[in-house]
Amino acid sequence: IFFVHRASPSARGLCIPTRAVCDAETIFALSSGHGRCGVAVVRVSGPASSMVLRNMAGLTQALPPPRTALLRRITDPKSKELLDRGLVLWFKGSLEGVRPAEAGEFTRRAFHAGKLGLTEVEGLGDLIHAETEAQRRQALRQMDGELGRLYQDWSYRLKRCLAHVEAFIDFSEDELIEDGVLNQVDSSVRQLETEIERHLKDERRGERLRTGVQVVIAGATNAGKSSLLNTHRVPPSRGTTRRPLVEREGVRRARQRVEQADLTLVVVDSTQLPPDPQLVAAFLQQHLSTVLPSPEAGMTAASDKVLLVLNKSDLVPEEQRERTEGELRERPGLPPACFLSCSTSTGLEDFLTVLQSRVKTLCGDPLSGAPSLTQARHRAHLQQSVQALNQYHQYRDQDLALAAEGVRLALTHLGRITGRVGAEEILDIIFRDFCIGK
Amino acid sequence: MLAQKLHLLRHNVLSFVSSRTGSDFTRRQYDVIVVGGGHAGTEAAAAAARLGAETLLITQKIMTIGALSCNPSLGGVGKGQLVREVDALDGLCGRAGDAAGVHFSILNRSKGPAVWGPRAQLDRERYRQFIQSELLSTPRLTVLEGSVDELLVSQPNPEEPGHHRVTGIRLVDGSHPILSSSVVLTTGTFLSGSLFMGQTTSPGGRMGDAQSCAGLSYTLKETLGLRVGRLRTGTPPRIVKESVDLSLAQLQAPDKQPTPFSFLNTHTRCKPEEQLPCYLTHTTPGVERVVRESVHLNCHIQQDAKGPRYCPSIESRVLRFPGRRHQVWLEPEGLTSDLLYPQGLSMTMPPELQLRLLREIPALHRAEIRTPGYGVQYDFVCPTQLTPSLQVKSTQGLFLAGQINGTTGYEEAAAQGLWAGVNAGRTALSLPPMALSRTQSYIGVLIDDLVGRGVTEPYRMFTSRAEFRTYLRPDNADLRLTPRGFEEVGCVTLRRYKKAVSVRDGLQEALMALQSVALSSTRWREKLGNISLSENKSTTLNGLDLLQYKDVSFEMLASAFPECLSQYFEYSQRLKIEAVYRPHCEKQSREMERIRSEESLSLPSDMDYLSLPVSLSQEVREILDRVRPNTLGAATRLPGMTPAGIIHLLNYVLRTGFMHML
Repeated sequence: IFFVHRASPSARGLCIPTRAVCDAETIFALSSGHGRCGVAVVRVSGPASSMVLRNMAGLTQALPPPRTALLRRITDPKSKELLDRGLVLWFKGSLEGVRPAEAGEFTRRAFHAGKLGLTEVEGLGDLIHAETEAQRRQALRQMDGELGRLYQDWSYRLKRCLAHVEAFIDFSEDELIEDGVLNQVDSSVRQLETEIERHLKDERRGERLRTGVQVVIAGATNAGKSSLLNTHRVPPSRGTTRRPLVEREGVRRARQRVEQADLTLVVVDSTQLPPDPQLVAAFLQQHLSTVLPSPEAGMTAASDKVLLVLNKSDLVPEEQRERTEGELRERPGLPPACFLSCSTSTGLEDFLTVLQSRVKTLCGDPLSGAPSLTQARHRAHLQQSVQALNQYHQYRDQDLALAAEGVRLALTHLGRITGRVGAEEILDIIFRDFCIGK
Repeated sequence: MLAQKLHLLRHNVLSFVSSRTGSDFTRRQYDVIVVGGGHAGTEAAAAAARLGAETLLITQKIMTIGALSCNPSLGGVGKGQLVREVDALDGLCGRAGDAAGVHFSILNRSKGPAVWGPRAQLDRERYRQFIQSELLSTPRLTVLEGSVDELLVSQPNPEEPGHHRVTGIRLVDGSHPILSSSVVLTTGTFLSGSLFMGQTTSPGGRMGDAQSCAGLSYTLKETLGLRVGRLRTGTPPRIVKESVDLSLAQLQAPDKQPTPFSFLNTHTRCKPEEQLPCYLTHTTPGVERVVRESVHLNCHIQQDAKGPRYCPSIESRVLRFPGRRHQVWLEPEGLTSDLLYPQGLSMTMPPELQLRLLREIPALHRAEIRTPGYGVQYDFVCPTQLTPSLQVKSTQGLFLAGQINGTTGYEEAAAQGLWAGVNAGRTALSLPPMALSRTQSYIGVLIDDLVGRGVTEPYRMFTSRAEFRTYLRPDNADLRLTPRGFEEVGCVTLRRYKKAVSVRDGLQEALMALQSVALSSTRWREKLGNISLSENKSTTLNGLDLLQYKDVSFEMLASAFPECLSQYFEYSQRLKIEAVYRPHCEKQSREMERIRSEESLSLPSDMDYLSLPVSLSQEVREILDRVRPNTLGAATRLPGMTPAGIIHLLNYVLRTGFMHML
């Protein structure tokens, strides 16, 4: 199945479908470049491809003839929410479960099915190279970051767990493997499960990267919210950034939006500030308490989720502005404040710098490439890792080979993120941690 | 019966072998020549002959054919799986173990049937006799005593890859060559072997035997240009049993009912009550002291050659893990032997210090040594220079098996020997070579690891090396290998094939019968009494589902449904194992299929990776150039290989039409 989208403001995706070859599972991948492309191509391959096409392109009746492009509404298969409009087409293959493709898997699969001729492989080659090379570079970049260190740490601990179970299987009959080695594994596995699950639940960071940061602009009437929105054409960071406008009147609703937002820009008309700079801090504090939800909701004025924008700075005498700025600098209990003028653009650069660094913090590791595919794969592998670890507990007392299989499987899934772990590596740990020898 | 027959043969066997090697030896050409009569050589010769090839086995001493050079035991965790597989392909070592075992036990009994390790202590004499009588009664197999001086090679067959072609061998004392298109070298530790004890060094591969293979080493290294490495191993002193105070050691009893290694045997030659015990004792701080004091007198441990991490000498154990108690097993050497084998006390210090060391262990405080321990260093051929059929890539018709490929252990040697013999026979009979998949057998894992990654220390099998351990089980080796061994490979005799097929059909029927009995969980609880089923009441479960439960045995189900299940009692254990593992094996089938299809994409052996016009990093190029993987699958498993690299490689090979299916 191929879905092809024309560039539209919301079009990030489009999709391409592809040949379904006779493999047991159905796989999908974004096949064009990542990020904000004008056209995106999504390929789906496998026995469930036609189901995907039917459910997502609203083709409840018969499929269109193969190799014929149709312009369709593309909807979420479950919620039926409209995702985009785009071209879909499909190619006939020989014929549940859909999962993200491994790097290079499409080529490999098509080749094994004997469906991919020489020229096709060459043509597809560049695309696939781009995909796998990009993924590789991206993975490397990520692995330097905080997330990478986290995954590497899990991988290392999981390797030790596996090595200790394997040592118990392969050597305990002849060797002095300390009693209780399995009990240690039990608690390590449990600890890992908890950490990975917690990480999976803490979706916001990854979520923000995929869907963009939710920014709310709040402020009194005529403070300059719309002007700010209009001035600020350049996205502060990668991904789409939405800026719902909140008017003062629907205070309750507005507060709700603010509560759900990742970042709130509170716009204040600087001409309304007290002329005495010493009183400005107290004024702003008071102002924020009317705009922001109550502190009980977890948001205080000092929260790093708020920025103060002091608009119409061009209408304030320069001397007063400078003194006020001095007063507000690093003021405990107040979020950072930026003077700017939407009409003259004065101060806009500084504001964008502050905004950008705030967004980066919110999104976690600032990747220069869009991480959507990688992120989806990571999530799937982490979930499968946790499931596999369940198998360890389930079989721990009944069949250690099956219990070990669970740890192996968990490591295999994690290894798809951090790099493959071979038997030799496990043996290295065994021989390092235990005195083995008959 | 078996015992009687063996006894009768005992006196005739060796003389018959000798006479055949003497006066009957007139041929100057064979289909297959096997050099070496150890575990690899005997399996290779027997397998080639079973395939239908006229085979010659050349050994330095006929009396040492089938000798257990080191430990008097067979099998174990991982190794037992190999023995079962060699047996399933109609090899010798499983049946030999059943004939020679004097102490049988299944290791890992509590850890799940996939990792059970069938193991036996052996009677050295019985083992040797069994192997010798088997070889003698194998049609088309001739045994010759002699030492090979030279491997004869000529120009390669231009239609196949390689720079040379084997044409035969020349003996040290033989004026005329013996010709053959296939030669299997299984020279063990005899390739430039040196023996070490204390500060003395002497050439040789085993104490008491002739040194060997200088000419052969030369041919391999100089004529064929093969890369070799050096490894070391060792063996413990043998102790006079009477001098040991066994009351100070802990008795280890065998299994009450011995389990045979071979699928053909229902019982072992040794009766349950005739089995001998083993004993367990431990090292003391005194042992460590002796080791430390003797380091300067110990050449072997000061050498660079790599020894195994998992079968180290007591010297390396003590030096690597100081201040600890190490296990020592005292094992019987046979029913009538007056010796004990101290497993864990392999050592190379001077003999007088060996005695001092032993006597630091309470049970051995009066121990007498019959023969001291010693170390061996030997050359091995880097096995990445072989194909998955164990043929040297550069030399048509030359096969290597056993320690010469960098492995350690009888079972590892036997497994390679069998497979090298199969392919040597096939080559001689003009049949294409065959490979075993690592998804189907431990033998496949072993060979794939060797030829795909090479070795840096003596290679031993562990269950953790197998990706599909829950499928590669000791109980189902016959189903995995025997039918294929007969139908495709040709190394399995009709008798064994028929037996395996009848077992396979019986199991199949029984599984269907189990699936045909389906009840709700509630009804099962009523039928079987107090069992804990996790499913809710209305779920329908069939007999196979139920058999997965820990508390449910086939016998319980058969008593609930005697009319349709009781006829399958003989398979009760296998059915239980199958029920537990089947769902997991099914889940792995996709991964298995992927590995298998990548194994089937072979890469040309003469590819110039360093200048290949595709986008590969220098690092990856060097890895590929060094290892020269045989298949795309092997390339995938190389450390440092990236997915992108694999795809580039695949594209290139496709584009140039280099790829051919195995």
